[in-house]
Amino acid sequence: MFEEPFRWMEAISTRHSYVREKLGKGQPVIGVPHDEGAVIFGFSPQPGKIFEIYDRIALGGLGHPADVERLRMTLLDMAHAEGFNRSAQDVTIGRLLQFGLAPALKQNFEEVQRAPYLIQMLLAEINQEGEAEFFRINYDGYWEKFKKGTVIAGDSKVTDYLQKEIENTDFASFNLDKALQLALSLWEESRKKNKVEDELESVTEDGSEVDEEAENLPVTLAEAFDRWNLEVAVLNSNTGRKCLYRALSENEISVLKSTVAK
Amino acid sequence: MIENFDQTHNSGDFLELLKRSGYNPQRVLSDLPENKALEIPQGTTVLAFHYKEGIIVAGDRRATAGNAIMYERCDKVIPIDGHSLMAIAGVPATAFEMARILSHNFEYYRRSQLRVMSTEGKVRALSRLLKDNVAMAMQGVGAVSPLFATFDIQQEKSLLYFYDMLGAEFQILTHVATGSGSPMIRGVLEHENLWGSRPLEERSQEEAMSLSIRLLQTAAQFDSATGQARPEDKLYPIIAKITKDGYQFVSDEEMEAIYKSSMKRS
Repeated sequence: MFEEPFRWMEAISTRHSYVREKLGKGQPVIGVPHDEGAVIFGFSPQPGKIFEIYDRIALGGLGHPADVERLRMTLLDMAHAEGFNRSAQDVTIGRLLQFGLAPALKQNFEEVQRAPYLIQMLLAEINQEGEAEFFRINYDGYWEKFKKGTVIAGDSKVTDYLQKEIENTDFASFNLDKALQLALSLWEESRKKNKVEDELESVTEDGSEVDEEAENLPVTLAEAFDRWNLEVAVLNSNTGRKCLYRALSENEISVLKSTVAK
Repeated sequence: MIENFDQTHNSGDFLELLKRSGYNPQRVLSDLPENKALEIPQGTTVLAFHYKEGIIVAGDRRATAGNAIMYERCDKVIPIDGHSLMAIAGVPATAFEMARILSHNFEYYRRSQLRVMSTEGKVRALSRLLKDNVAMAMQGVGAVSPLFATFDIQQEKSLLYFYDMLGAEFQILTHVATGSGSPMIRGVLEHENLWGSRPLEERSQEEAMSLSIRLLQTAAQFDSATGQARPEDKLYPIIAKITKDGYQFVSDEEMEAIYKSSMKRS
């Protein structure tokens, strides 16, 4: 079936379309710096979006929960075995991706008889110099590094919009509260913009039909806080402890809600 | 690095992960002849007691091998996770390895299972490491007798344990000391607790730290394997506390001030 090159390319192209369609409704995960480290957050209908990987590394994932879980465990195993056998300083996202996850994901994606991973991941790290770094890895193993923050989202228009806004904002000069509030307002802006564009597209393409499921998704922060879970994790380089990761508690999320969701 | 990519089941046990990656600390012992003449650096005096806000854990800095002083800046109080500390007396090579395994064990469990390991689980994990180490201890090359202090977030309670080298654990409600200098200060701790100005568990952080540094100086007076503070070299004992907010070590600057105020009759 795959003996001819164009057939293989066709199969890969179909795989890309299949995975993108499956990831299409994935809710964004945003990671930005602040003056003491990094913050990473995401809204989702079900808990299980933001995780701790190692002392200085946080993970945000979207896609099929079983795939997120499998790759999370792979990263955890690699990070802890490496941290134990060498040192915590040798556990960096760059190494985990370049020599671990990325080649394995690419191989999996190109083996067309195997089911592809339905996943996108955002990783944040405080490097040994105390600076925040952000990484984005795709289902096909392609990964990129960002200094000013980054985003993953099922919809590429949302990703492009938020990435541009993040690049244009100096999050590293704000304290945690300010950086988080600003990033949340960007999330809300992207939802509003996306909703308007979706409505326009659905009208022009098929006359009057509007995707009901998309129609019912929260658009404002107030709606999102009411109907979804917000997960926030902070990497703070000034704690004086070896683990820099801290998930915001329910109380802290409530306070945040009362501040931003008016 | 990627050998576990297809691993689906995970119990959160770091020792399992170590085994999968081929680590086996016992294999080096299989053909090891008994060697009584071997002199290995050993840790010396560590102590811990409950005070008003939690637990104080303190230790001197000297490592010795027989009569020789091998090292004067040994850190015998080691963070294990955000709310746990281990203080070591015995062979540092084994003790540091145990601390590293334990630390990865607790953190790996918490990160993979998305919940903190129970205090009982933590206490047994150290016991298991000590039991696995019995052969090494019996051959005279790896005896370790640690203290383990932790704050249980669910129970909102600080807990302190002492272990013998075979892995038996004993919960301590007041105070404990281990290492070659400990006999010199255990009596003082009991005396302070029973007839001092206040029971140890009612003492403030300042009082608790001051008592710790005095006890370690006392142990060093009588035990050559326990190192004294040397302010001229900025060499002080290690003191840490565990409270509901986690562990915190006393910085060198703070130690200098505590040392100065403690080394005179109050």
